[in-house]
Amino acid sequence: MAKPMIFHEKEEFLKTLRRLVREGVAKERIRVITPFSVAEVEEILPRMPSHVQVFALAGAASGTVGGFAFTILSTLSWPLIVGGKPIVSIPPFIIIAFALTILFGALSTFLGFLLLSRLPSIRRIRSVEEYGNAFVITVEPEEAK
Amino acid sequence: MAETEKYDRADREILAAMGKPGRLYLLVLAFTVTLVASGFLCWYHQYRVGLGVAGYTHPVNWAVYITNFVFWVGIAHSGTLISAVLYLFRARFRTSFNRPAEAMTVFALMVAGLFPLIHLGRPWVFYYLFPYPNQRQLWVNFRSPLIWDVFAVGTYFTVSVVFFYVGLIPDLAIVRRCKEGIRKTIYSVLSLGWEGTRRQWRHYNMLYLFLAAFATPLVASVHSVVSWDFAMSILPGWHTTIFAPYFVAGAIFSGTAMVITLVVPMRKILVLDRYITDDHFESIAKILLFTSLIVSYAYVVETGLAWYGGNVFEIELFRYRAWGHYKALFWTMITCNSLVPLTLFARRLRRNIAYLFCVSLLVNVGMWVERFVIIVSSLARDFDPYVWDTQMYRPTFVEVGITLGSFGMFFTLYLIFLKTLPVLSITEIKEHL
Repeated sequence: MAKPMIFHEKEEFLKTLRRLVREGVAKERIRVITPFSVAEVEEILPRMPSHVQVFALAGAASGTVGGFAFTILSTLSWPLIVGGKPIVSIPPFIIIAFALTILFGALSTFLGFLLLSRLPSIRRIRSVEEYGNAFVITVEPEEAK
Repeated sequence: MAETEKYDRADREILAAMGKPGRLYLLVLAFTVTLVASGFLCWYHQYRVGLGVAGYTHPVNWAVYITNFVFWVGIAHSGTLISAVLYLFRARFRTSFNRPAEAMTVFALMVAGLFPLIHLGRPWVFYYLFPYPNQRQLWVNFRSPLIWDVFAVGTYFTVSVVFFYVGLIPDLAIVRRCKEGIRKTIYSVLSLGWEGTRRQWRHYNMLYLFLAAFATPLVASVHSVVSWDFAMSILPGWHTTIFAPYFVAGAIFSGTAMVITLVVPMRKILVLDRYITDDHFESIAKILLFTSLIVSYAYVVETGLAWYGGNVFEIELFRYRAWGHYKALFWTMITCNSLVPLTLFARRLRRNIAYLFCVSLLVNVGMWVERFVIIVSSLARDFDPYVWDTQMYRPTFVEVGITLGSFGMFFTLYLIFLKTLPVLSITEIKEHL
């Protein structure tokens, strides 16, 4: 494991990060830990797309389809006219489908985040390297690639 | 001073709130817990004896319990507005309010969720409201607004809890660092092993953005659905198309007032003046003033609709609201919701925190009373003139006890939150330091 470089100033940390990239250190070898989200890091290192939105779309779409399917099929399974309204009443079913779109979309996005961020991490829960509020850069050795 | 020292100071000052509780805190907590206990005792009495102990009298069969339900769901709305909508608009002052507001949303919904059950004649069969496969192959009536409520409020609660928790994850990792023993273990588990790597932040930012996007339509939809519990009926005073926007504006109005009510003493007691400034309060006071104007406009429009609609029952209802049995409440509502907030046009008053706190208390009262006026006065003046003046609905001690209990429960949960979780979003504050 490479020795981490610890910085107490954000600018100093960013300067070193830029230098490492300029010197040709493979960007995949650079590991960065920050106390909060630093937008500049994403500019310096290659922007990797987050696939969280795929989970959001899949969850939301399944909520919409599931909401309509559930309301339509359950009312058809016992076709009882209530209040003179049609058995398959689309306007009220939109409300259910809308709620399930949001619900499934939000839950699935959260699940996607956990999977992609590899959380919860049992190893890290048991012992995590704490750097406090410092900015940290670790350059992994080449053979570790 | 090194930059990290600035961040360390922020950690220390914000997490100081989680220190050992003082005598005042314990006294207030004891008081709120007593309220909760008396509320549950009243509910138990109603459970044993029956719904007759509530003051329901024909035709007023929806009253204080439904008022409380609408009030607490409304309170929840401002939390989502501040955390999700203002996040999408990149309003920086939200960082001072979003954590207490999100906590408020979750707790208000927990309280609100009890009231449909309290209002049920047979609360032990509450699960009939949920669509579940059963032997008789019966499903719920998806065309009923009450079932829409189950889905809307259920979704709202779940999404709010997820949003609240997601916002907490990086902050819980900070708490983990400062604790020892069993507390460290608990916060380690809750923070899921968060490290703050680039990969985690990238996915986290995307998650937060999407959750904000999912939660934003809920600000408009949930209280619209709640308003349709009323508007879908044919009752004068309820059956009107403006109910959805009227209720949504009212919800944000009352929620914003509750945020001010909670944050003013919190800032004072926990010495958070550096992070919650008078400028932040001024911004939130503008939201209060703006939503007050929308609510006042809705009062005028619904009266105008009755006037020009020409329906005698509708006209009589609006006359009754202003001059009938509940006139004192109606004028309280107008004073607290429409007149008092107008003073916030003065910048000096918007920046006077003690004054703002008093206004927020009055708005809380006014908005509770507004829901009572809408629900009870409309039912009391329905299409059955025979009972109009023969009996009048008055809340009984059971309803008053349960209502006070609900306030007790809300404040108890909030007090527990103050001592167990970071009261402000530390990582977001550090971004702007």
